[in-house]
Amino acid sequence: MRALSEGVVLFALGLFAIIGVWNVPAAADNETWAGIVPFGAGLGLLIIAAFMILGALRSPTSNDKSQSAENNAVLEILALFAIALLYQHSIRWFGYVLPTAITAPVVLYMFGVRSKIGLAVSVVLCPLIYHIIFFELLGVFPPFGEVFDLLDAIQG
Amino acid sequence: MDIFPALLSVISDPMLLAAILLAAVVGMIVGAIPGLTASAAIAMLLPITFYMDPLFALAFLYVIGKSGRYGGSIAAILFNTPGTAASAATQLDGYPLAKSGKAGKAMKVATISSVIGDFMGDIMLVVGVGFIAALALKLGPPETFAIYFAAFVVIGSVIGKSILKGLASAFIGILVAMVGLDPISSQERYTFGSFDLSNGIGLVPLMIGVFVLGEVFAQLEERKKAKNAEIEVNDQAGDDNTLTWDEYKPCLPHALRGGVIGAFIGVLPGLGSAIAAFISYGEGKRRATNPEKWGKGALEGVAAPEAANNAVSGPSMAPLLTLGIPGSTIGAILLGVFLIHGIQVGPTLFLTDKELVYRLFACGMLGILAYGLIGYFGATQVARIILKIPTNVLYPMIFLTSFVAAYSARGSMFDVTVMTVAGFVGWLMRKYDFNIAAFVISFVLAKGAEETFRQSMLMSDGGALVFIERPIAALFLAIGLAAMAFRIRTILHEQKIAQGGLGDA
Repeated sequence: MRALSEGVVLFALGLFAIIGVWNVPAAADNETWAGIVPFGAGLGLLIIAAFMILGALRSPTSNDKSQSAENNAVLEILALFAIALLYQHSIRWFGYVLPTAITAPVVLYMFGVRSKIGLAVSVVLCPLIYHIIFFELLGVFPPFGEVFDLLDAIQG
Repeated sequence: MDIFPALLSVISDPMLLAAILLAAVVGMIVGAIPGLTASAAIAMLLPITFYMDPLFALAFLYVIGKSGRYGGSIAAILFNTPGTAASAATQLDGYPLAKSGKAGKAMKVATISSVIGDFMGDIMLVVGVGFIAALALKLGPPETFAIYFAAFVVIGSVIGKSILKGLASAFIGILVAMVGLDPISSQERYTFGSFDLSNGIGLVPLMIGVFVLGEVFAQLEERKKAKNAEIEVNDQAGDDNTLTWDEYKPCLPHALRGGVIGAFIGVLPGLGSAIAAFISYGEGKRRATNPEKWGKGALEGVAAPEAANNAVSGPSMAPLLTLGIPGSTIGAILLGVFLIHGIQVGPTLFLTDKELVYRLFACGMLGILAYGLIGYFGATQVARIILKIPTNVLYPMIFLTSFVAAYSARGSMFDVTVMTVAGFVGWLMRKYDFNIAAFVISFVLAKGAEETFRQSMLMSDGGALVFIERPIAALFLAIGLAAMAFRIRTILHEQKIAQGGLGDA
């Protein structure tokens, strides 16, 4: 079942690549078509996917008993990915400091840190240390929050 | 002989020496932490090097890569957990030695053999790289494309468990590299009207995502699966931790042979140190006078894979510097550093920035010396430091660093989004046994390959026969196809042996 799903996903990717390259206009004189390499790669992916699907259909299906045990771990990964997406988007809205202060203890908790003092300290220390290293010492211009920026408020 | 003035120049620069020393320590620690790789550390530190002098940045990351390969042996011998894939071969004899109270002895053999292998690789690099570059200057677009093709096929099919998944990973890498404006005709590809996508997918955020954030996801999963597992440590002083010449003497031929094997494999793109280490171990055992002791705690069984593992490092730079083809994931990241600092890699590099290249080699050699000395006298102390690092704090910190590092690359929030998505994709690829190295190296190679392919097509008025009519191009196409055929044959043979197994998947 897993091999079949992998083949189907790759097939969909290959199909998407070929359809996507269809919009690339034809080549002008003395030029080659800009879509030739992505078209070739998409086609290659389709062929590989077809082999994988055929291979999966031929081989007997197996019941994976460890599936349910893995599900918990996958759920945590999905949760961390959701936090990552939310974190990167909230930096656009609220700048770097505030989202980092909120995300740091959440991620620490997910990795098993249970000390209340440790989690509380991370709220202050994480944004502070990263801000000093990257935005003060290295001179990177910090991302500005579109809605509200705590750094802007602190600096007046 | 350009290396000697370069060595003098580096030795007389105390800041550069300090950077090399720091990189040796950082690499060793990173390599020894199970799960954390030198590639991840280099990807994470990459944005910081934007603000450094090119040589300083390249030397710092290059030495981390070298030292990281060696650092894997610390975890393999002392923790019974290979810090890197290559050090799994070292673990076979290293850990039994540690269990019998010879941890210090095993570490010293690993250190000396790593230094021998690494120096052999670097000497081969210094001697051969100018020659390869001179040859590369004579290659036309069809020949260069054929080399790219061979690299794609070898990377996709030879490494990893499955040829199909390896090749699929390579194709996905090519497709991701195609996003943005076509460099020749400026036509948009896979941009869907997005301005951000028209600039293409950045190398740095992609690397940080795949190697750093992807590793954080993988570590979270590992923690959930092995909640009760604890690292077993054998760093006790034991009865005798000194290494005498009589004890190392039988190891020397294995280290020298391993150095040659590693250096040869290092030149071939994508194969990497894990394959070199296992080939050297197998060859060493076959030729050993005491094969029955191998796997149970033979010092020679540590020397052979360690020398090969580290000998890969130098020669893997040869295809990168002369052809722009990274031989390893570390090479792919270093390519990013070259590009960021406006240095075009390829055969012309030896005409435009020869001095920089040789100074980089000199830094690499001093890096070997640095990790050799630190490892010989303080490997067990490094292991104790690693045990004190709380991983439940380390990985959340790496998680947060990946975001700010991806942003720092170009000051772009779009890069942070790319990094986040790449991290998840990287974890998915790991989980489903796709080939991350093939994905990343193909991403890096795709644009060069496309350019040479289209130039070749223009040269021949659209005829693909140009790749067969020119003998060097035909030779490299044949090498690529032969590598794939050989791999298919090996897999079919293995399947026949283990009938009823899962086979290629």
